[in-house]
Amino acid sequence: MSAGILGTTISGASSATLGKAAKAAGMPAASGGGEAFADSLGKLLEGVEGSQVDANAAITNMVENNGEVHDAMIAIQRAEMSLELTVQIRNKLVQAYQDIMRMPI
Amino acid sequence: MNEISDSAVIAALRRQMTVAVARQVAAAGNLANVDTPGFKAREVTFDETLARQAGTPAATRPGHIGTSAANSGINMREVDSPARRDGNTVQLDRELLTMGKAAGDFAAAQTALAAKFRLVRYAINEGR
Amino acid sequence: MSSLTAAISASASALNVERTRIEVAVSNIANAESTRGPDGQPYRRRDVILGSDEISSFDSALGHASATGVKVNAVVQDQTPFRRRYEPSHPDADASGFVSLPNIDTPQEMVDMLGAARAYQANLAAIGMIRELVSKALELGR
Repeated sequence: MSAGILGTTISGASSATLGKAAKAAGMPAASGGGEAFADSLGKLLEGVEGSQVDANAAITNMVENNGEVHDAMIAIQRAEMSLELTVQIRNKLVQAYQDIMRMPI
Repeated sequence: MNEISDSAVIAALRRQMTVAVARQVAAAGNLANVDTPGFKAREVTFDETLARQAGTPAATRPGHIGTSAANSGINMREVDSPARRDGNTVQLDRELLTMGKAAGDFAAAQTALAAKFRLVRYAINEGR
Repeated sequence: MSSLTAAISASASALNVERTRIEVAVSNIANAESTRGPDGQPYRRRDVILGSDEISSFDSALGHASATGVKVNAVVQDQTPFRRRYEPSHPDADASGFVSLPNIDTPQEMVDMLGAARAYQANLAAIGMIRELVSKALELGR
């Protein structure tokens, strides 16, 4: 199954929104057209893991060192957003896959 | 045309909160020492351009315990204020005012940031 | 501790200090006419010596990481000379009819006491403001 079909199945408008949301969550955003979705997904997963690490570090910093409360809260929010973003994208991919499988041969 | 990205807005709001905190802490220290002989009141200076150049402080990466004052644009200096007979330069009302203003700045940034997060998550979840 | 926690400690240290200053002022005022104490001498004015006290200066590179509190370094006896008043009929009058009175200026003690009370109020207000700030920061979670 080519990445191209997957690409067109996920609506252009929502992927632009998700792209902006990815930026806000501090994750590397997938570029609009050329990249294969496998690459994009890989990057997003890395982003999620990175933001989780950041959040843990920020909390530890707050508890053990001189870290500020608001820094930790912001890091936690970004981690949550990354996670939600990834879940949404996964959902969309699953939906796209199902749509394709339902197509009459 | 400049597009102000989401993460730049978040970084700017976060900076505003960090500066407000620094001002609160300095003012609290001054207030505590309003009767200490020879104590010189201190205030926070913030260089916005310096802070923006430094980018988002990498305070969350492990092993990096927050930005140094040098590149976060936040610095302390002595207030240029007349000293009383015991050499103390702290003015009670001025410090209370500073605290009030800093608290307001912090609350404003927090409200904006919380709204921003809600907005982004709304976009992610598409209203669901 | 975060700098906000340090700031609360700083303000709290001031509460203790200002309370001590008020207590000492009250003691001075109460004894303004004590011509004979347990040691046979007139009461000597007490003075509170303050000094600033760094709280958690963990990272001095971060200008704002620590907060500056205050502490009582010592409570000393004021060594300025006693007041003397001509009152030969006083039981503690000396050979020339003078009484040595405590080196206390009651109006000044009142002023000091009011100043300490005002500083106490201000530091109490500061603690309230900082705690609200921390609450707001935690509200970023929702």
